[in-house]
Amino acid sequence: MSSPQVPPSLRELLSDVFEISPEEVIPELSSTTLENWDSFRHLQAVLALEGEYGVQFDPQRVPELTTVALLQAELEKKGVRL
Amino acid sequence: MQADSKRNELRQRIKDALAGREARAAVEFARNLLAISTKASDVLFCATCFAGGAETLVPQMGLKRLRTYLVRSVTLEPMLPYLSTEAVLSGFFLDLRIGGYGSYVSELLQPESELARFQPELVVIALDMEEIAGRLPALCADGLGAGVEGEIEEAAARLGQLLRSFRSGSSARVLLHGLVIPEVTSAGEVGDANLPYSLMNAVLRLNQRLAEVCRATPDCVFFDVDRLAARHGRARWRDQRMFLASRLPLSAEFFSAYARGLVRSFATLFRAPRKVLCTDLDNTLWGGILGEDGADGIATGSAFPGNCYLEYQRYLKQLSQRGVLLAVVSKNNQADVEEAFQTRAADLALSLDDFVARKIGWGEKADALRELAQDLSLGLDSFVFVDDNPAECAAMRSQLPEVAVVEAPADEPWKLVDLVAEQPYFDAILVTDDDVHRLQEYKAQTQREELARSAGSREEFLASMEMVCTFQSALQAPLARAVQLLAKTNQFNLTTRRRSAAEVEQFSAAPGGQAVVVRVRDRFGDAGVVGLALASNRGDSCSIDSLLLSCRVIGRGVETALLAYVAEQAVRTGARRLVGEFVATKKNAPCSTFYPDHGFVRCAAPEGAATDAMFYEFDLTAATLSSPEWITLEGNEQHELSASTAFTA
Repeated sequence: MSSPQVPPSLRELLSDVFEISPEEVIPELSSTTLENWDSFRHLQAVLALEGEYGVQFDPQRVPELTTVALLQAELEKKGVRL
Repeated sequence: MQADSKRNELRQRIKDALAGREARAAVEFARNLLAISTKASDVLFCATCFAGGAETLVPQMGLKRLRTYLVRSVTLEPMLPYLSTEAVLSGFFLDLRIGGYGSYVSELLQPESELARFQPELVVIALDMEEIAGRLPALCADGLGAGVEGEIEEAAARLGQLLRSFRSGSSARVLLHGLVIPEVTSAGEVGDANLPYSLMNAVLRLNQRLAEVCRATPDCVFFDVDRLAARHGRARWRDQRMFLASRLPLSAEFFSAYARGLVRSFATLFRAPRKVLCTDLDNTLWGGILGEDGADGIATGSAFPGNCYLEYQRYLKQLSQRGVLLAVVSKNNQADVEEAFQTRAADLALSLDDFVARKIGWGEKADALRELAQDLSLGLDSFVFVDDNPAECAAMRSQLPEVAVVEAPADEPWKLVDLVAEQPYFDAILVTDDDVHRLQEYKAQTQREELARSAGSREEFLASMEMVCTFQSALQAPLARAVQLLAKTNQFNLTTRRRSAAEVEQFSAAPGGQAVVVRVRDRFGDAGVVGLALASNRGDSCSIDSLLLSCRVIGRGVETALLAYVAEQAVRTGARRLVGEFVATKKNAPCSTFYPDHGFVRCAAPEGAATDAMFYEFDLTAATLSSPEWITLEGNEQHELSASTAFTA
């Protein structure tokens, strides 16, 4: 079943970026487990999230945000209501 | 929320359309989706769908597939899905490959580089200032400018050399990015504007020099990124954070605009511009309804809102000065229109003489365009139709989908020029003399048709035309014109091979090779360069790779004269056999029997030839091909000399 923990808008956006189905977007999904999640997709994901939620990530934090859960936490820390 | 449900609905429709193999619908839904949404995820979604639907999209939409290699010193990966999506919307399908950072010189020049092995049809070069002229910021900083000119010239020379070397080994089309003028400099904005050697002025100058380098390189276009940046705001164009952290040259906000600009620039290397703009009159060329308001009542002239229409007329006049043909297509009474153009001449920027044709009446506009296409011997895909009536626009779109339609905003006439200008229909990176004289030429065409109707026999008519054919090397005549003919001739084109300038040069340089163009003039005017042949010798046989003729002169014997000339040159270079090829396309039926009509006989295809080609041969030792007697021939001594040099060599 789909993972209820990942909010739908985030799930759909990441599924478009990584070219996977929304059901595959679970909190544990990470750049080490998903082949499609390379450094350029990572950049693509960051840019798409910034555009979608109107936030800016700190470039120094960006390389550390390597799982869906970490991305979600960073967005929430920036006050995004997912 | 409502927008989201609309988005989701369109996304589903794109998927369904592709699953049902309905390419046109899929692309239309994607266009709608991207018109209502600027979300990155929607662009990525479209890119994924298009990539997966290539087998449906490419054949059904007739997309031109392009192996495209990006050479770069900056990060372009995040823009790739935008690029491939915009390309599909503009009629291209890109097979993209991207090179490493900073290895552009070896990629472009080494014969075994990844780029060379990829055999690209298009090479996109995106270098930033550090790569092109790294010392420029430091040289400009003191404001005195010592060494600035030198650095600019050196940079232009280096890139020119690089492109020339690349060109000698590849015929791929090239797009070169210009630089974006830096928004923040140590001189400040006042200094930038006033100091002659400010960095802003230096980059402006460097961009001009790079554009000159592109002009001097065959099949190369300059992509003016700075103009795009200026339009969207240079201050926001680059996200300094992302540039410094990831070498991303522009903010994600502008990826779509960038991709659109890039596709629009390279499209001119592969596609000829449209040729005819058909304009409506009432509430389009002028304000009001002529039939109701009368010639005195229509709005045009120096006062608002008449000046909105005057601006549009001036814009059309300027288009016509570089060869775009204008035509009137209007539901009106002929006499009323003539009266309006006469009595309001002082308030109009156009006279009836500026139009190549006028279709004024009460019939269907689609029929008028069909007739016009026939009269001018042009394909419907050469036409643009401008009309304020949504019903007329819809009818045109559904009846003649090849015609590009611009809907004039009747309530906001000041927007019309912008609406036409933002379309790529008339984009051209070069204008030839033939373009400029096109209106006279097409008018002469109408006079010829009148003469044809009044003359007795065909021979009598053709003799009365007093035609003169001049043969020249394609390199001596403007090479650009030869390439333009190769790119846009469809009907009388035996093989429809879209050869590039570099390839034409190869034919000319090969021993026994020919790259010859024919100019035609007659008592009504000079039609300019209207035909071209490319041929090369193998052993004792001369093969004609390409032979084509502009449709304006078909059926007057020029094709025979051109063939006879090629045969004569072939004999001079030692050939005993002339081989012609015919590759059928949707459009070239008019020349399907060209070779048999001239005494050629079918022969076997040589090894390795394309399977869709039909081959014909002519024994040059047994018979001669001669030019029609009604045509006077003028050779070109220099070309004959080069042919005989090839022979002795």
